[in-house]
Amino acid sequence: MKLFAKYNRVNIAATICVFIIGSTGFYFVLQYVLTRQLDETLRVEQQEITAFVKQRDTLPVIENAKDQWIEVRPVAEMTKKASFRNANIYNPQEQEEETVRQLVFTIKAAGKQYEIIVSKSATETEYLLKLIIGIAVMMIALVLVFNYIINRTLIRRIWQPFYRTIDAIKGYHAGESLQLPQEKIDELRLLNQSLHQMSEQINQDYQTLKTFTENASHEMQTPLSVIRSKTEALFQYAERDEKLMQHLLTVEDATQKLARLHHSLLLLTKLKNRQFSTTDLIDFKEVIQKKIRERQELFESKKITVSLNGDITEKIFHPHLADIIVSNLLSNALRYTPAGGSINILQEEKAISFQNTAVNGSLDVTRIFHRFYKADQSAEGTGLGLAIVDEICSASGCKVVYRFHDLKHIFTIDFNMLT
Amino acid sequence: MKLLIVEDESSLNQGMTEFLSASGYICESVGNYRDALEKIDLFSYDCIILDIMLPGGSGLALLKHLKNDRKEDGVIIISAKDAVEDRVLGIDLGADDYLTKPFHFSELAARIAAILRRRNFKGQSIINAGDMQIDTSGMTVTVQGDTVELTQKEYQLLLFFVINKNKVLTKNAIAQHLWGDDMGFPDSYDFIYAHIKNLRKKLTAAGCTDYIRSIYGQGYKMQLA
Repeated sequence: MKLFAKYNRVNIAATICVFIIGSTGFYFVLQYVLTRQLDETLRVEQQEITAFVKQRDTLPVIENAKDQWIEVRPVAEMTKKASFRNANIYNPQEQEEETVRQLVFTIKAAGKQYEIIVSKSATETEYLLKLIIGIAVMMIALVLVFNYIINRTLIRRIWQPFYRTIDAIKGYHAGESLQLPQEKIDELRLLNQSLHQMSEQINQDYQTLKTFTENASHEMQTPLSVIRSKTEALFQYAERDEKLMQHLLTVEDATQKLARLHHSLLLLTKLKNRQFSTTDLIDFKEVIQKKIRERQELFESKKITVSLNGDITEKIFHPHLADIIVSNLLSNALRYTPAGGSINILQEEKAISFQNTAVNGSLDVTRIFHRFYKADQSAEGTGLGLAIVDEICSASGCKVVYRFHDLKHIFTIDFNMLT
Repeated sequence: MKLLIVEDESSLNQGMTEFLSASGYICESVGNYRDALEKIDLFSYDCIILDIMLPGGSGLALLKHLKNDRKEDGVIIISAKDAVEDRVLGIDLGADDYLTKPFHFSELAARIAAILRRRNFKGQSIINAGDMQIDTSGMTVTVQGDTVELTQKEYQLLLFFVINKNKVLTKNAIAQHLWGDDMGFPDSYDFIYAHIKNLRKKLTAAGCTDYIRSIYGQGYKMQLA
């Protein structure tokens, strides 16, 4: 629900409530006031009659008006107090049924007891009441409608800069500066300022981290280069010493593994930092064919048959990362397919599957994309290849899934979410 | 052939200088930006081996300076940074090649030789190595006038051996030269053995002396006078 909708809902409900309560109150107050006014005229009439009787000890001759008339009846008992009441009676003057206000009181005149009922038509009052209430309701309705329209247009306009800010944040990547306009509204300006500061902070951290990884990379690769260069120099002396040769090879292997590990970890860090932004239209079929060609002899030496089927449309992807994904999956397949096995690559409209013959059963589905996961701890390789594939996929907006089916390991890159 | 080695890590610098001097190059080495700039301004080199991160400045700035002066020196960047952007930037600025640390010296030698071949295309396209004559422009090998038919991999392998003659090359170095580093090699290097066996067979069949020696099955060496 939008903030405005929520606000509006509460606002309208509250307004309606207030107006209903107010109108009811207004109605009763008005009715009370108008009835009091009627009662006042009736009381004046009573006073006039009482005064007349007191003076002359006889009832006055009653002249009935259109909206006011008096009935006189003899009664047995006297009541002390005069009483008001409402009634619907037949008005002989107007010759129709109408609502009246009556004042009933008793009086003694010439030794006789009379009950006098003064009736006054309440039609006028009721009409006035209806009119006033009608006008009030109309006003309320108008106020509600205008309120709604004003809120709608005004609030929509007021929130415009907010949505601009949101759009700016959506397109934000660490490493670039967040450009937000200067707003006139205090709250929005504050929001933009805070966001700007935050993005500056993020940028700074990002740059620090980037520089750190680059420096760390440099600092680590340099000693590795020295070790390798010295090993290489030593090889020249090892020609006549098999033991030395073997020791040196172990050192060289370890150095190479360390270098590879280091490159992989660095790549993972960069992927986590989203340091790859340039994209291109990539023809994955071409990439796969190239990578297979490069490894042709390696496949042949293990007597592995490789097949590539289907077609896939070009995808928007980082060219280097596309290379790495395909490379890693193929290298994995090459490493873990038994001699004489087969690798099938199936291209679909929005997915590529790499299937290879398995030696043992399924791999651990929950941990397979974890860093340093190896089904066989003694295996060659860094244990980072699949973690990198996974990380590239999530950085590029697609997904990699593993499943085991029909004695085959199947890795599927799902491009469905990719535009 | 004159080379300039710009690398601040002294042991690495020294290692490269020794290795490349032994390969017959005249090497000069510097360890910081200022010295490198001075050398570049004063002399010209066939190839400059350039580290990017240098005390006092960036190797890329040196490269820019070099290209602004329209110097013809070949440049190979050696860097610990594997960042694709840096690689692309380096090549865009006019570097001939980019090698990520750590690398095999034999690989560096092969890359330098390739740059030099490209640069001095006309005069230097024939390499004489013992009984063999390698024409790098036509990628053909002749032994005593007869052409030896080699596959592309065998040719690359032979060239790698000739450039790094009299040096022990490990299987790792050979594999990386022929297939690159990201291949995920099977646990054995049998396929290298197969290539070398075929190469030796073809060369000896053409009447060439067998110069390639196996070092305890762990490495190889081409023994050339």
